[in-house]
Amino acid sequence: MGTRGMTSYCSARLRGSMLALLAVLLAPAALADSAAIPAQFVEPPMLAEEVAKGALPPVAERLPSVPAVASMAWKGQTLGKHGGEMRMLMTSSKDTRIMVVYGDARLVNYDPNYQLVPDILQAFEAEEGRVFTFHLRPGHKWSDGSPFTTEDFRYYWEDVANNPDTSPAGPPVELLVDGEPPKVEFIDETTIRFSWSKPNWRLLPSIAGPSPLYIYRPSAYLKQFHEKYADPTELKDKLEDSGQQNWAALHNRKDNMYRNDNIDLPTLEPWVLATKPPTERFIFKRNPYYYRVDSEGRQLPYLDKVSFQVTDGKLVPAKAASGEADLAARYVRFDNFTLLKENEKRGNYRVRLWETAWGSQVALFPNLNANDPGWRALLRDVRFRRALSIGIDRSEINEVIYLGLGIEAANTVLPQSPLFDPELSAMWSVFDPEGANALLDEIGLTQRNDDGIRLMRDGRPLEMTILTSGQSPEEGDVLELIRDQWLNIGVSLNWKASERDTIRDCIYSGDCLMSVWTGLENALPTADMSPWELAPMSQVQFMWPKWGQYVETKGEAGEAPDLPEAQQLLDLLAGWNSNTDIETRTTIWQDMLRLYADQVFSIGTIAGVPQPVVVSNRLHNVPEEAVYSWDPGAHFGIYKPDCFWIDPAN
Amino acid sequence: MLIYVGRRLLLMIPTLLVISFLVFAIIQAPPGDYLTNEINECISRGEMGCSQRIAMLKAQFNLDKPFLEQYALWVVGLLQGNLGYSFEHQLPVTEVVGDRLWLTILVTFATILFTWAVAFPIGVYSAVYQYSLSDYVVTFIGILGLAVPSFLFALILLYFANLFFGLSIGGLMDPQYIDAPWSWGKILSILGHLWIPTIIIGASGTAGMIRRLRANLLDELHKQYVVTARAKGLPFRRALLKYPLRMSLNPFIADIGTLLPELVSGAVIVSVVMSLPTTGPMLLDSLQSQDMYLAGSFLMFLALLTVIGVLLSDLALAALDPRIRLGGGATK
Repeated sequence: MGTRGMTSYCSARLRGSMLALLAVLLAPAALADSAAIPAQFVEPPMLAEEVAKGALPPVAERLPSVPAVASMAWKGQTLGKHGGEMRMLMTSSKDTRIMVVYGDARLVNYDPNYQLVPDILQAFEAEEGRVFTFHLRPGHKWSDGSPFTTEDFRYYWEDVANNPDTSPAGPPVELLVDGEPPKVEFIDETTIRFSWSKPNWRLLPSIAGPSPLYIYRPSAYLKQFHEKYADPTELKDKLEDSGQQNWAALHNRKDNMYRNDNIDLPTLEPWVLATKPPTERFIFKRNPYYYRVDSEGRQLPYLDKVSFQVTDGKLVPAKAASGEADLAARYVRFDNFTLLKENEKRGNYRVRLWETAWGSQVALFPNLNANDPGWRALLRDVRFRRALSIGIDRSEINEVIYLGLGIEAANTVLPQSPLFDPELSAMWSVFDPEGANALLDEIGLTQRNDDGIRLMRDGRPLEMTILTSGQSPEEGDVLELIRDQWLNIGVSLNWKASERDTIRDCIYSGDCLMSVWTGLENALPTADMSPWELAPMSQVQFMWPKWGQYVETKGEAGEAPDLPEAQQLLDLLAGWNSNTDIETRTTIWQDMLRLYADQVFSIGTIAGVPQPVVVSNRLHNVPEEAVYSWDPGAHFGIYKPDCFWIDPAN
Repeated sequence: MLIYVGRRLLLMIPTLLVISFLVFAIIQAPPGDYLTNEINECISRGEMGCSQRIAMLKAQFNLDKPFLEQYALWVVGLLQGNLGYSFEHQLPVTEVVGDRLWLTILVTFATILFTWAVAFPIGVYSAVYQYSLSDYVVTFIGILGLAVPSFLFALILLYFANLFFGLSIGGLMDPQYIDAPWSWGKILSILGHLWIPTIIIGASGTAGMIRRLRANLLDELHKQYVVTARAKGLPFRRALLKYPLRMSLNPFIADIGTLLPELVSGAVIVSVVMSLPTTGPMLLDSLQSQDMYLAGSFLMFLALLTVIGVLLSDLALAALDPRIRLGGGATK
C-alpha cells in the first residue's frame, strides 16, 4: 500500500511547499504548455450517438476555447485511440477517491521534472510567493455542462469556507498564513487573485497534491442545497428525504469532491462516477467536457470507462495474477512479486518494477521520548542506537525477504538523489557484531542473565517490545530476522501486531520504546525541497513525538527538544528556510543528513525495494520505469492516466 | 402450550435489552470512536482537510454525548424501526445492508442444504455399518472438513478453481454481472461461484452433524424394540427408517435455531477471505472502524433472529417429538 509512510497532512504541504517556493521565485509567470492547439477536434466514438441526437453539444463546443494539450512527456508514451475499459481492483467503497487521485485534474500540477505548471488553469502568476493570480480557461465546463468560472471560486470562498454552518472550523489551514486569511479578488469571469501579506508556500503544493485542496466548487449544482440560494420548501423536502439533520449537513454530504461518492456531483476529472455506492463494482465513464486533448485533437481521456472492483485486500494479488486487472499496484506488495511473475503468461500482463521513494522499506525508530527512565537514558545514548544499528545483518534481510533486490543502507536519501553520499548510506549500517558488543560494553551493560541478555543498571534485562500495524507480513518477517541478530549482541526483541491507533497512542505518550514504519517519505529530494523530515517537526515522527508536537503546536503541547543534536537539526532547518541560494541549501542538506545519519535517530534496513506494477498487455502508455510515490506523484497521477489507452483491436 | 409460547415471547424482551446494552458497550469499549479512527486514517493517508472533516462530522452526529445518552437514543431509534446511519458509508444502515442480506440468506440456505444432504447419508451409513472400513473412511473425510481451517481450505479451493475451471477468484459472480439486471447468465454465474463457499462453510458443520446423528442412531439401534422388530422379520431398511431414524432426527431440528445466526456470523472469516458480498465482511469492517449504528443494529438483528430461531426450533422439536411434548410434566 503506497500511502503508508509518515505523511501527515502538514508534512506533505511543508515538503512540497519548499519545492513550490523555488518554482514561484524562478518562474513568476507560468504559462500552460503552449504547444499548438490542434485545428480540428476528434469526437470520442462513445459519445458520437448522443451528439448526433442532440443530447450533447459537439466536441468543439464542449472543450474550453483553449484546451490543454497533453504533452506525452514520459518516455514511451505515444498517441492513442479512443475506446476500451480499464479494470482495477480496490478494497472498499471509500476507494472512489482513488479515481480523483489517478485522474489528476488539478489547477496546477507537477510536470515530469516535478515543477509546478498550470493544468486546469491556463496560466498563473505568483508574485513574491504571496500574490497569486489564476487564469481559468474560457469556456471550460463541469461534467454536467455548467460553466466553470470564478463564480465557483466565489461560492467556495464566501458560501462554503467562510460559512460557519458548513465550515465550523473555518477556512482550511493551507489558506491561512499565520492565521491571516487571503484577500480574494474576483477580477472577471476567468481571473481570480489571492493575496497575503507574507508568502504562502503551502498553497500551490496543496492544490497540486494527490488529495488536493479544492478552492472551488460546482456552484450551479450545490446551490440547491445551500440555505442562501435554495427554495426553502424544496430544501426542506430534500432534507427530509435524505435523513440529514440540517441543511449544512446535507450540503456537506453532497459536496465531497475528494471522496467522489456522489453520482450527481459534477467534476473536472477525466472520468465521472456512474454507479451509486454501495456496490461491489464501480464504473467511471468518460467526462464529455474534459479539458485536455492530444496533439491530434482527440479529446481525452482515451479510455471510455474505468471500473473498480471491490474485493478483499488480500485477494488483490491473486486476482491480479489471474488477469482480472488491467492496472494494479495498490495493495500489491513486493512479496507478491514471484506469484505475479509466474502468472504473466496466463494473466496476459507484464509486471514492472517501479522505484519507491522511501528512505527505507522498514525502519526502526527508537523513541527518544520514552517514559521509562532507564530506557530513556539508554535510547538517548547515541552509542546504544549505533550498537543496535550495526548489530543488524542487512544483507541477510535483503537476501531472505527482498531476493537481494534492495539496497542495504541507513535511513537516508536514495542513490538517485543529487544529495546522495555513499558514506552516509553506510554510516553505522555495516554489520559488525563485535563492534556492537564493544559499544554496549562501553556503555556499561556488561552484566548478562542466564539467557545471554544484557542487564540494565537496575537489573532488568534488555527486552523491548515493538508494536507493528499488522497490515503486512513484511514488517514481522524483518523483525524476526532482527530478533535473532540482536540475540548475538545481548538484546531481546519481541514484536506483536496491533491496531494503528493503539500503536500511535503508545508512541505519542512515550510508553512504546521503539516502533516500526517506513523511512524517509521522500528520499529523492533535491536541495530546494525542504529537509523538514530530518528535524523534529511533527508528532507523527516516531522517534521524537513529543519534541515534534512541541514544534508543531508552537510550544503549547509536548516537550521542548533537549538533546543538543536535535536542536542543531532545527537550527539548520531554520537556516534552510531563510537562505534561498542553492549552494547554502545544498550545504545545509548535507550537514543535516550527516548529523541525522551519525546520530542514528532512525535505524534503516533496506531501501529501494521495488514496487511491482501489474500492467495488462492491452494497456499502453504506462511507463516501463517510473517512481511510485504518493506526494508528489499521486502514484499513477503524474503519468497521466487520461493518456493510457487500450487498442480496440485487442 | 399457548402459555408456554406467551412466556417465551415475554422473556425475549429483557433478553434483547440486555443484549443491546452489551453490544453497545462492547462496540464502544475500544478507546476512541469513529471520529478518532477517521482522523488517524486520514492523517496516515496523507489526505487534505482532515480536521475540517472531523469538525463537520462531530457537529452532525451525537458522538460527543455521554455513553448512556447515546445508548438511549439508539435503542429508541431501533424500537421505531430506524436502524440508524452508517458513518463509514455515509448512508442509512438499511441501504448499506440491502442486497447483502439476500445473498447471505442464499449462501446460508445453500450451506444448510449441503450440510444436511451430506451429513444425513454419511451419518446413517456410519451408524449402520459401524466400525467397517467405509465407516472410518467416510468419517475421516468428515472430520477433515472440521479440522482444516476454513480460510486455508477456501484459498486452496479458490486457487484450484481458478486454475482448472477459470473461475474468477472471490466474489459470488463474475465481475461483469455485478449490478447487472437478472439474467440466466447471472444466475449460472452465481451457481458456479456458490459451490465453493457452500462446501467450505458447510464442511465444518457437516462433521459435527455426522457424529451427532451417528451417536443418536447407534443409541437407538441397540434398543430392545429394534432387536424385536428384526427378530420378528421386519426388513432392515424399513425397521431403520420408520423408527430409530426418526428418534435421532432431534439434532437436526434443534440446530435450526442456532444455525442461522451461526452461519451468518461464523462465516465471516470465510466471507472475508473469499470476498463474498455478504454481511460478514460488512460486519467486520464496521466493527474495526467503530461504525456504531451499522455494527450495533446489525448485531441486534442477528440477536433477534437467534432468539426467534431458538423459539421456533423448540416449538418444532416439541411438535416432532412427543417425548418432549409430554415428558415435561412427568419428570416432576
